[in-house]
Amino acid sequence: MKVTIKQWTGVASWKWVANDDNCGICRMPFDGCCPDCKLPGDDCPLVWGQCSHCFHMHCIVKWLQSQPVNQQCPMCRQEWKFNNK
Amino acid sequence: MSDTTNRRANFSNLPENVLNRNHVISIKPTTAKKLTIKNLKSEPKLPDDYREQTWKKLKNAVLAIQQSKPNEDSLEELYQAVENLCHHKMAPTLYQRLHSLTDKHVAHNIEQFLAESMDRYLFLKKMNETWQAHCRQMIMIRSIFLFLDRTYILQSHISSIWDMGLELFGKYILLNTLVQTRVVEGLLMLIEKERQGDQVDRSLLKSLLRMLTDLQIYDKAFEQKFLQATERLYAAEGQRLMQELEVPEYLAHVDKRILEENERVLHYLDPGTKYQLIHTVEKQLLREHVTQILQKGLDQLLSEFRLDDLSLLYNLLSRVKNGLIELCSSFNAYIKKRGRTIVIDPQKDKTMVQELLDFKDAMDNVVVTCFHKHERFSNSLKEAFENFINQRTNKPAELIAKFVDSKLRAGNKEATEEELERLLDKIMVLFRFIHGKDVFEAFYKKDLAKRLLVGKSASVDAEKSMLSKLKQECGGGFTSKLEGMFKDMELSKDINQAFKQHVTVNSRDLPQIEMTVSILTMGYWPTYQPMDVHLPDHMVRLQDIFKEFYLSKHSGRKLQWQPTLGYCVVKAQFRSGLKELVVSLFQTLVLVLFNDCDYISFDYIKDVTNIEDGELRRTLQSLACGKARVLLKNPKGRDVQDEDHFRFNADFTNKLFRIKINQIQMKETTEEQKATEERVFQDRQYQIDAAIVRIMKMRKTLSHNLLISELYLQLKFPVKPADLKKRIESLIDRDYMERDKDNPNQYNYVA
Repeated sequence: MKVTIKQWTGVASWKWVANDDNCGICRMPFDGCCPDCKLPGDDCPLVWGQCSHCFHMHCIVKWLQSQPVNQQCPMCRQEWKFNNK
Repeated sequence: MSDTTNRRANFSNLPENVLNRNHVISIKPTTAKKLTIKNLKSEPKLPDDYREQTWKKLKNAVLAIQQSKPNEDSLEELYQAVENLCHHKMAPTLYQRLHSLTDKHVAHNIEQFLAESMDRYLFLKKMNETWQAHCRQMIMIRSIFLFLDRTYILQSHISSIWDMGLELFGKYILLNTLVQTRVVEGLLMLIEKERQGDQVDRSLLKSLLRMLTDLQIYDKAFEQKFLQATERLYAAEGQRLMQELEVPEYLAHVDKRILEENERVLHYLDPGTKYQLIHTVEKQLLREHVTQILQKGLDQLLSEFRLDDLSLLYNLLSRVKNGLIELCSSFNAYIKKRGRTIVIDPQKDKTMVQELLDFKDAMDNVVVTCFHKHERFSNSLKEAFENFINQRTNKPAELIAKFVDSKLRAGNKEATEEELERLLDKIMVLFRFIHGKDVFEAFYKKDLAKRLLVGKSASVDAEKSMLSKLKQECGGGFTSKLEGMFKDMELSKDINQAFKQHVTVNSRDLPQIEMTVSILTMGYWPTYQPMDVHLPDHMVRLQDIFKEFYLSKHSGRKLQWQPTLGYCVVKAQFRSGLKELVVSLFQTLVLVLFNDCDYISFDYIKDVTNIEDGELRRTLQSLACGKARVLLKNPKGRDVQDEDHFRFNADFTNKLFRIKINQIQMKETTEEQKATEERVFQDRQYQIDAAIVRIMKMRKTLSHNLLISELYLQLKFPVKPADLKKRIESLIDRDYMERDKDNPNQYNYVA
């Protein structure tokens, strides 16, 4: 062996695994955060429903709170259930 | 009133009591004896010739005084004589006689000046002597005739003896215009002589001028002519010296002149002349030439930083009307002109920022030390800087960002923390002038990313301080992304620590590589071209382990590796010993290949690593043609060709143990820079769109011109009207707004 690697400082960027570019509720890109937050990341996470639609957590929670009777996905009108994958 | 009557009552009571007690015998209370005073029966007679005799005595005395001879009689006697004459109603006659006596004497005195045509100086001297003698004599005469002065003259409102003397003296001098002009001309000649630098008898001047003042002909006979002469002299001198002298010398001369004239006032002129005299000098020497002085000399003074001369210039110009305003506008013009030469020349780009900083320092210094921190000048300074710095779009902003980068980079040991801080403050001042702040942000962000990712930042404190300055200047929106970058770096630190623990706990047969990863949030960082390269198996494994670990902590995410930004520390065994190389990931990939083969071709390297062609050529160049040549290229040459082969240089030597092999930077001036500018332009388009929609939503309908002017108010960067037009067209296409059907120059908002 002439050469061995001792240290490696790598760089990676992260993205949400979402099937859309923008949040269906606030229309902000998922790369950013919901209108109430300043920084994307763990403070403003995405959540997925069992219908496979995905939103900013803050946005969908606000939406669900405004819907006292039927908790539906705002995109497909199926019953909203969190998908805890 | 009542008080006095009471007192009277008491008086009438009092004597009665007293008399009753002590003088009962002599006086009866009812018949009080009256005391009466009677005139003398015959007036005391003066000798008949007493008046004439006395006057004769007095006359002789006066004549003696006028001829400066000793008096025969004692002064006391004479004084007594005057008093006596006054008592005997001789006062008017006495005054008359004294008047005519003085008149004759003065007339005689003045006459001698009429006849002779003597040297001017002697003439003045003689005049002065006469005047002095006159004063002396009059004082003496007044002393003798003091009683007359204090009684008769005071009561009958005629001139006192002293004034009478002055009047007579003045009358004859005024009467004889020849004498008068000769005196005045003589005086003017003396003054002019002094102005030319000769020594003159100042006491003579003072005395004669005092004479004119006392005779109350100073204004009429002298002052006007004097001022006219002054004006003539300095008008000519101003014209001549402006041609002959350099401006600093001229200024010094003017200053000297003003000083001299002030001194002149102090020494012999009437204080009342001061204002007009100085005003005349200022007018002829300064105001007439302000424009010329500024045109001819200001640039030179400023570029040579002659602070003393500049102070003098300021002080002098502050004396004349509009002087400072003109100075200020010339100052402004100079800064613009000089600044433009710094900014506009692309050849000077390398030193532009430093030159700007120096220039700003120098001009600040001028304003503070020479212009008394006058508000007009400091505002003008700012305005001028803002004006010229934006004459070249984008480039100054870019260069300032680069300059900051060079100062914040690690290894830049030239400045201490405080010095760096001060420097950053100064840079912020320049930054403030720049209109296209987004250009700055784009370049600053790119450089900041490099510093953070490669760990090259000189000091976190300095970075943070710069960030807070930017935030203060432009608000949180401007810096939120930059702050996000710092946040990412902190989060990455935590993750890496957790990962290290994770690895030690689950110590599977891991490759012996110490791995740290910077995890970037996409939106904050500049966009990097994703590049798919082939890593050796053990590196891929390590990468996957990290990825697995990261995703287990953060669900719902995916990771994209950025091989362009990674770097490694590599141990390499040479004949001379073991060395550590600090190299980029690409360089590492190339080096690792030589573990299996000795001599490999360019094509082979390209196949195995899958590094993009241009990037690979640069990488090989850095390893085989740079300062530290750990590879040998065959054939030799600066550029890497397709058919080149490479060999591991086992004979590599270097006195250092750890060697950094710099990646050869892509020519930033071309592609990368264009990309940054392009990105800025893109961002601006969105901002323009947003601003147009915002305005239209508020106004509903608006004419084209009004819309454009409102846009210029809102947009914080320079835009061309043509660009705005394009954006408006695009918004019309996208149905955000429409043209009015009747008036094509009017837009309607479409809800």
